[in-house]
Amino acid sequence: MSTETGRESRRSGALVSVMRWMENLSDTQYAYLLLVPVFVLLGIVALYPLLRTFELSLFALSADFSSTTFVGAGNYVELFTGEKNRYLPGGTTFLPEGLGMSALLNSALVVTIIFAVVSVLFETLIGLGQALILDQDFYGRRWIRAAIIIPWAVPIVIQGMIFFLMFNSNVGFLTPPLADLGLLAPTNTLNDTASATFIIIVADIWKTSAFMALLILAGLQSIDRGLYDVAKVAGATKWQQFKLITFPLILPTIGVAVLFRSVQAMRVYGIIDTVSSCTVVPSLSCMVVATFTTREGTSAAIAFVTAAIIGTVVMGLIVWQGEDAI
Amino acid sequence: MATPTDTQEQSSDGPLQRWTQSAIQDPEKVYRALFYAAMVFFLVTTLFPFYWLIVLAVTPEGNLLSGSFLPTVNLFGVSGTFPLPVPKGFNPGAFVTVFEQVPFHLYMLNSFALAVTTTVIVLFVASLAGYVFGRLRFPGRALLMLGILAISYFPPAAFVIPLFQAFAGNAPITVPFTSIPLFTPPRMLNTPGSMVLPFSALFMPLSIFILTTFYGQIPDGLEDAARVEGTTRLGALFRVIMPLSAPGVATAAVLTFIAVYNEYFFSSIMATSPEAAKWSPIVGGILSYQTQYTTQFNLMAAASIVGVLPVVILVIVAQERIVSGLTSGALKE
Repeated sequence: MSTETGRESRRSGALVSVMRWMENLSDTQYAYLLLVPVFVLLGIVALYPLLRTFELSLFALSADFSSTTFVGAGNYVELFTGEKNRYLPGGTTFLPEGLGMSALLNSALVVTIIFAVVSVLFETLIGLGQALILDQDFYGRRWIRAAIIIPWAVPIVIQGMIFFLMFNSNVGFLTPPLADLGLLAPTNTLNDTASATFIIIVADIWKTSAFMALLILAGLQSIDRGLYDVAKVAGATKWQQFKLITFPLILPTIGVAVLFRSVQAMRVYGIIDTVSSCTVVPSLSCMVVATFTTREGTSAAIAFVTAAIIGTVVMGLIVWQGEDAI
Repeated sequence: MATPTDTQEQSSDGPLQRWTQSAIQDPEKVYRALFYAAMVFFLVTTLFPFYWLIVLAVTPEGNLLSGSFLPTVNLFGVSGTFPLPVPKGFNPGAFVTVFEQVPFHLYMLNSFALAVTTTVIVLFVASLAGYVFGRLRFPGRALLMLGILAISYFPPAAFVIPLFQAFAGNAPITVPFTSIPLFTPPRMLNTPGSMVLPFSALFMPLSIFILTTFYGQIPDGLEDAARVEGTTRLGALFRVIMPLSAPGVATAAVLTFIAVYNEYFFSSIMATSPEAAKWSPIVGGILSYQTQYTTQFNLMAAASIVGVLPVVILVIVAQERIVSGLTSGALKE
């Protein structure tokens, strides 16, 4: 120890003095020092933009497009009363203008919620199935697992291209059979709101089920195998084992996974932009992107409403999970 | 089966009936069958879209629009539609043309460069944070982790408007809710910076949570030993704790790389035109086929196959890391 300090004291310069200063910090000071890069990065890219988005959402463009004026909650009020709808692309609306199928699917808010609910529901069911399979021991399990994970790793733009090519009216071979079943519009499929929404939900289920499967698999593998031995001795069937042991024990895991995925699903943009277009399938993120260069205030208000909806869901998750959420 | 006598029918029925008989006696057999049926179903549904890409890519351009991909087969006098699409001809040339018509390799190179840069930044910053959260006890720890978690949940759309304005570099950045100017940022649209910054912030929380778990597991004794030997505090992190948590670091690196390679939102907005020279990643490359060469579906498919290959290889090589990272980190997140 004495030789070490002796050697260090012979060195001089800024680096050494910084090092020595760091050595003498308390644990708390040192912790906050190391977190400075995180604070800087998140401050620039997350905190500042979030505050600024809120600020922008309080201003509106004046009639002559030259300046902005403070309107308070005006943008939000106009958004919810439907006056902002004229700025949204392709005749889409923020809130639905009626309760008919086409009015509902023309509303960005409704489409986003439908997309999130339906895709997460099916992803959970399929993910559970995949997880139950991956939980077994069998020859070639490694390869099956890789095959099931691959869709999760496919870039969104390629995922979109795949489904664009599968349902394109020129080469898509899947459109005629599904149109016969009445699921899709037979012509101009990708420009038909209902059909395109359906295709986009299918595309999301294809890509993200594997993610759900991995989360649920983690829950499955933490179950004590001894429980199944007891059940077998007691004469329980496989279904009873699933209903009474597996399902109750993985329910908390599924709950977290579902909320986590719902939050991600509410951001949907890329797959819509590639497969169809934002004017056909409006989502909240779509509306932000479509308006942000021309109508800042409107765009910022939509962005902040999106963030608020997601924030509410997240708060629910954190309150429900408490400290375990971290 | 064709002309069974009565006695034969009793002793050995058709294979299906025989199987049913034994299945009734041994229910395990049914579960086995169900298991394999489900496995095949999932394999077909996950891999079929890639098969479709290959079918399209090798079909010569002239044959794309003529006839159906579902051929009519005539089997023993019964004609029906073959349920799987098959290529109409064979022309692997699309895989060469795809690089000639649009410099697709340059887009991929951009994607790689962006992904590697982001991964390095994220690993460095998340290592510091992971060390702090995993190994130090200090006031405000839980609150800070909660804050980072909360930020990671916000949609990119909530950040994009001010970021785009700042990266455009037209007006000075002001303190929010005032008009006090801070500084005028340089124009960063169409440069790596405008994408690497948001990517780093967006994908850092997951890495922080993974590294917190891994760094927290290293015994205190090892760090103490290094410190007694005269290592500095930072030296202990980068020379002892990080190498000992190599699997965790690899996990965070693989997940960050894949996340950046897959990103769409900022990639499509911050690179304002889909040109390789303007740092547009594969999003731009693929979309330029969709918008410029609207009928060359074989090239779109070939570009998609080429673009997806790196991640497929990464998944096959590093699947253990991906599984452990998603299950240990994402469940917490």
